[in-house]
Amino acid sequence: MIKYIIKRIIQFIPVFLGVTLILFAMQNIVPGDPIKLIAGEKKLDPQTEINLRATYHLIETDENGNPILDENGNTIETPLWKRYISYITGLLHGDLGRSYQQNGKPVTAILGQKYPYTFRLALVAIVIESILGIGAGMISAIKRYSAWDVGVTLVTSTMVAMPAFWFGMLQQLFWGIFLKNVTNGAFYLPISGVGGPHAEFENWVYYILPALTLAAVSTAYTARIMRSQLLEVLNQDYIRTARAKGLSRRAVIWRHALKNALIPVVTYIGMDFGGMLAGAILTETVFNWPGVGFETYRAISQRDWPIVMGSVTVIVIVVMVINLLVDISYAFLDPRIRFDGSKGE
Amino acid sequence: MADMMMNRRAFVGGSLAASALAALAGCGKKTDGGTTTGGTATDSANVLKFYINNPVAIDPYNTQESEGTQVEHVMFDALTDYDWNTNEIVPKAAEYWDVNDDATEFTFHLVEGATFHNGDPVDAASFKRGWERICDPNMTTPSEIRYHLDPDKGALEMAEGKATELTGVEAVDDYTLKVTLTAPMADFPYICAHPALVPVPQAALDDPEKFLVAPIDNGPFMIDGEWVADQYINLVRYDNYYGTPAAIDGIYFSIQKDPDTAFREFEAGNIDFTSIPSGRMSEISEKYGLSDDGYTVTPGAQVLTGAEASIYYLCVNCEDEVMKDPVIRNAISLAINRQNIIDTVFEGTRVPADCIFPKVIDDDPSNAWENSHYDLEAAAKMLDEKYPAGSDGKRGIKIKLSYNSGGGHEDIMSIIQGDLEKIGIEVQQESLEWAAYLDALGDGNYQIGRLGWIADYPTMDNFLYPNVLSTSENNYSKYVNAEVDKAMNDARQIVDDEERKAAYRKINQMVGADMPIIPVMFYSHNHVGSERLASFFYDAQGKAEFAVAELV
Repeated sequence: MIKYIIKRIIQFIPVFLGVTLILFAMQNIVPGDPIKLIAGEKKLDPQTEINLRATYHLIETDENGNPILDENGNTIETPLWKRYISYITGLLHGDLGRSYQQNGKPVTAILGQKYPYTFRLALVAIVIESILGIGAGMISAIKRYSAWDVGVTLVTSTMVAMPAFWFGMLQQLFWGIFLKNVTNGAFYLPISGVGGPHAEFENWVYYILPALTLAAVSTAYTARIMRSQLLEVLNQDYIRTARAKGLSRRAVIWRHALKNALIPVVTYIGMDFGGMLAGAILTETVFNWPGVGFETYRAISQRDWPIVMGSVTVIVIVVMVINLLVDISYAFLDPRIRFDGSKGE
Repeated sequence: MADMMMNRRAFVGGSLAASALAALAGCGKKTDGGTTTGGTATDSANVLKFYINNPVAIDPYNTQESEGTQVEHVMFDALTDYDWNTNEIVPKAAEYWDVNDDATEFTFHLVEGATFHNGDPVDAASFKRGWERICDPNMTTPSEIRYHLDPDKGALEMAEGKATELTGVEAVDDYTLKVTLTAPMADFPYICAHPALVPVPQAALDDPEKFLVAPIDNGPFMIDGEWVADQYINLVRYDNYYGTPAAIDGIYFSIQKDPDTAFREFEAGNIDFTSIPSGRMSEISEKYGLSDDGYTVTPGAQVLTGAEASIYYLCVNCEDEVMKDPVIRNAISLAINRQNIIDTVFEGTRVPADCIFPKVIDDDPSNAWENSHYDLEAAAKMLDEKYPAGSDGKRGIKIKLSYNSGGGHEDIMSIIQGDLEKIGIEVQQESLEWAAYLDALGDGNYQIGRLGWIADYPTMDNFLYPNVLSTSENNYSKYVNAEVDKAMNDARQIVDDEERKAAYRKINQMVGADMPIIPVMFYSHNHVGSERLASFFYDAQGKAEFAVAELV
């Protein structure tokens, strides 16, 4: 098992270099000059533009930080490969560079401020998704064709069809505005962090609506996958055998069926968690969540490459680690799966 | 708050609801420490809650867009201030000033005894320090707004790294600041009202990282804690302010990503001032009542629709094969039904533009350009001679209308396209992402584009000089008219206000005849305030006058 994990981790390196290199190359392909974009339609004066390019090492500078000029008196653009090497060097020193758009704030500081919120929101959403999704899926499989089953199918179909941000807005209107007005301010849920003198995202009530919104669609999918998997497993011979041996239905489901049915569900939830950690642009926008998704989106549209590179770096690592964890969890769920090359029992 | 907690017990017993309420009622512990300085001023009910987007900067050395300016301008006092009631420039941190005959030397006499909120004196050296930070190329990131100081002697040299101080700005003594310009500019005191051109204490140089998120200022409010990106900025009243102290205890700037969410917070009673989501103007005006003057919120008259000091226009590439003909440019201007755009897209709230000056900058009735009204017949007639219409009504003129996607411009451009097709011009739309659009405009790779211009300073010069001077960076139209250039440089030397204005009105007409830009409309406020606002003024540049705001 350890050998397998080490092998997987070594495999990370080429994947990581490949992804970041492609992204880095895109900086030169995508239209839009990041420095010109700082000023928008009101242009920077030429000297300021040069100073900014020198600051961000986009043009060649001497040891004093003054731009080096070619024979025509123009500045010389730093080639892409040089910038990629300094990105990798910086990365090894824990330095992701400085943002173009946010007064040269270090990218690590920007992401460091945003990631805890993204992580906690994703965690709450995943817990909701796991409990509600797996629970609903089990109920509807066990009580197949009952009113429960119909209800779950109906609700999940609706959730899958409904755009998450719209669901979020509806929740805000109901929990935040309608309830507040009806109860004269006695009971309501916060909409977007406005309330006290600080945005109170530390407080757990602020997680309820965004997490429900973020989890909505995936919960529905989880329930559906769970239902079909459990039904399939319940129809298999070994389940019938177990029942025939006199085990109770409950014991059969909990001890024998559930674990086997969970494998695709865990895969799905794991992947989903990885996706959530990359940030959820729409949910973050609707609920004003100070997460990393909106930050990345903003950075892409403003060509703030250091932030884009920084968040992609984190996302690539997170996704790779989560995939690894999911793979490892298979061994726990299905004893036949082993990674060390020896044959299973 | 107390009521809410009592109601809570009466209303629900569930633990979820109870703790939700505990948090909402603010009776729970504040989880993030370090943001309250010695008191609970920002917890007070006398705090105004204001919606902004995440600013680019609140440190004056790089304050540039509306959101950062909103916060920064109530913290810092510049030398002068613009009075929107009298349309005059008035003293602020400077008590008065002198100007020499050719408008190249300005001497400002500062108010004595004013302090930064760390106790440092606001003296001439602190102004020089503040302005030098804007020119300094060795800041962590150089200022993006050095152009404000372009008129000052030595500003460019400092940015080029050839000088270490701003030679044109001199602290004659503690309270006398002398500014020497490279060329005459009678409007300079208007520029000095810009919120970026303010003094900073020595602390700004000692700890620039801290100053970025918690600037130390000389104005009526000071920061409480620091700016937490994408969350909030809290300001509290500065009690040792040299001027009239503010009536409110503080301002809570709630940083939101989405105006629609902000508006829902407004409806939930959590924000006092916000913008109105598009398409809901009439419904909301009915509910909250229109403000009498369009700029002041009072209970029952809470919706603002006052005209802004900004213009929405089409810029025309004067180097383009087709568009270089002024006849076509004038005909296009005549063919656009501006009122229809305003009624259809903006529920009638904006004002059709008939020249380059918004009405709040100069409302002289003679400013209107000859061909800036709507007259399809005249437009067609104008084209008939050189570009006769074929049997299908088309004149063989094909143009591309470029704009940035996602900014709500699609509807406007489609109306313009329809208008132009009525006079036989074939129009193709080109919608580009913002970054790509700026590239296209900058490279001159367009025929007609759209732009907005928001005044940096409320002067007529600021609408002409940056946009139509042949050598100006922002002259996207590539408009070259030596007479206009000369007239603009001459106008800057006229010290007498009325004479100078008359000169700019003439230039406006000269530009109008050439039509390098086609005015479409002047922006208007579309904002709403809560009933808590007893009196709240939001000026034509979109700056809220928090210092004189009152809460119920």
